[in-house]
Amino acid sequence: MKRLLISSLFCLLTAWPVFALDGTQLLQRVDRNLEPASYEMYRKLINVEPDGKRKEFVLYSVKKGRDKIVALFLSPPSDKGRATLRLGDNMWLYIPDVGKPMRITSLQSVTGGVFNNADILRIDYAAEYDVESAEELGDQYLLNLKAKTGEVAYDRLKMRVDKKTVLPTIIECYAASGLLIKTLRFKDIKDFGGGIKRPATLETDSPLYKNYKSVMLYSEIKKREFADEVFTLNNLARVEDLRK
Amino acid sequence: MKLARGLATLVLLCLAASSVAAADEEFKFDAAEFQKKPFEFSGYLELKPDRSWLNQDSAFYKLNFYARSQRDTLDQADATLKLNGKYTQGFTTINLRGSVEVKSDGLSSSRISRFDEAYMSFKPDPGFTLDAGKVALKWGKGYAWNPVGFVERPKNPNDTELPREGYTVLAADFVRNLEGDLKTVAFTPLLMPVSSQVNNDFGKPNHVNFAAKLYLLYHDTDIDFTWLASGSRTPRFGVDFSRNLTTSMEFHGEWARIFNVDQRLVSPTGSTTTTRSNVTNYLLGLRYLTERDTTWILEYYRNGTGYALEQAADFYRLVNNGLGQFQTTGNDVLLQRAAAVSQGGYARANPMQRYLYLRVSQKEPFDIVYFIPSITTIVNVDDRSYTVTPELSYSGVTNLDLRLRMMWLHGEKETEFGEKQNARRLELMLRVYF
Repeated sequence: MKRLLISSLFCLLTAWPVFALDGTQLLQRVDRNLEPASYEMYRKLINVEPDGKRKEFVLYSVKKGRDKIVALFLSPPSDKGRATLRLGDNMWLYIPDVGKPMRITSLQSVTGGVFNNADILRIDYAAEYDVESAEELGDQYLLNLKAKTGEVAYDRLKMRVDKKTVLPTIIECYAASGLLIKTLRFKDIKDFGGGIKRPATLETDSPLYKNYKSVMLYSEIKKREFADEVFTLNNLARVEDLRK
Repeated sequence: MKLARGLATLVLLCLAASSVAAADEEFKFDAAEFQKKPFEFSGYLELKPDRSWLNQDSAFYKLNFYARSQRDTLDQADATLKLNGKYTQGFTTINLRGSVEVKSDGLSSSRISRFDEAYMSFKPDPGFTLDAGKVALKWGKGYAWNPVGFVERPKNPNDTELPREGYTVLAADFVRNLEGDLKTVAFTPLLMPVSSQVNNDFGKPNHVNFAAKLYLLYHDTDIDFTWLASGSRTPRFGVDFSRNLTTSMEFHGEWARIFNVDQRLVSPTGSTTTTRSNVTNYLLGLRYLTERDTTWILEYYRNGTGYALEQAADFYRLVNNGLGQFQTTGNDVLLQRAAAVSQGGYARANPMQRYLYLRVSQKEPFDIVYFIPSITTIVNVDDRSYTVTPELSYSGVTNLDLRLRMMWLHGEKETEFGEKQNARRLELMLRVYF
């Protein structure tokens, strides 16, 4: 009996690290380490063609809570003034000449290239995905994520998370069919100030766009609070007014 | 030809500039370059040469050319300069959107300078905005038509993204975000004066018109209720909606009820009658993105204020009778009468009752990024006439948009597109942004 108790206790103790790894909590920490709950930031998005030719976009973005984000195009002049809004699964695009917001879908891309609207208007991973499994792989965690609903752009994600920084390093995005749609690579960890230390570069490529690459560069990520009304269709023509 | 050579030179210069820019491989970004300035300025220069092949058997060719030398083709060159300016000081913003357009064809030339928008915006709180001045309001969810767009100039269904001139209004905007199924509520009331000096093409003068829009984001569906009170135009109200059904499909619709609509009809002999009725306009549409990045936009439009088949045919018969009279007597009274009534309705875009709009565009085929070929068709369901417009657009060079398109119009005698002035039209558009 005593031996049985000791061996049971031993089994429980050796299994403890597996139970201790709470994937959902880990994913929430990844979200907060990537960005504060409410913030503003600038991004440059670069689409690189196989011959090296580039097209660049600069966006000003503000986010609040888990699933409210708006982004304004500052450059190039042909796109200046365009604004996109995301509220949960809902996305809209405002084009100044058209003059009214149009609903867009997550799989479209307002910029062309490998990034789609879901990448450009990314909300918290924990808002869109459930953790199916979490495991340790050397100095990394591997999180297998499953979309909460059919409205989410990618059905499954395989997220590799650095144990030390609790920041993602590589995310593979899969369709429901199991097809690899794209791979996201987080690079160049930088201290943005205000306690925000995260990758300053996000690169992506896709087997669907052979030899093409898209890169997102981050700058001036700052904590900032916004009123809920900032994240409405009526405000899309006036996002520029938020910039200081 | 000079314009065409100029266009080609400009394109080559832009392409060369983009190749030089591509040589630098390092990724750099300093947001300090994009700091906000109190005054922002932008715009574009657009050059648009086109050639139209004329349909000499059509009613509108006869109406427009009966007193001119006959011709098979008509070349036109159109140059437009659009300038946008924005000045911000505290809660107040001044917005200006002006344009200068010069047009020239084998028959005449014209120059139009105007402000599409010129208004002051006061926003003391994220949930409240007051706009005063000339504003281009855009209501409705449809791509080609907007039955609920009560206070705006009509959209060109052949070029839906063309900037449009606004009206002078005083408009407020109240918006609140909420928790729960109803996520957003926004209310936009507006006053629009109409006199011989202000908004004089909107309707009867000497009225201050009241209109309003109530927007709801309810259960992930955009819903608008719109209303225009009696004044320069007859009273009307409407509702629209838009919703994403899946990650790749959007569904939308509009419905409007208009009271006491006067419709001026003309007989083949030139006598006119006016009928009054209450009418319903509506539109249903969807946009679908396939896994191969093909976008389908399909809309059905019921135009309650449109002409029935026989009513439209009466107009075409009037033109033919008028031409017969002119050729035998030199008297163009009937043709002038036809020209006068056409301005009120028969000559407007899509003047009949039932239409289908289909646009299919393919994003970046053959791995050519920023290249989008598309094809658009507008079908008059009543008389089975239609237009087909294949289009190639390319935006791979920074700050340069190129578009080439050809429009074919097809229809029998006494059908809408069979009686248009053009049989087909080739158009090149080059737009340089700054």
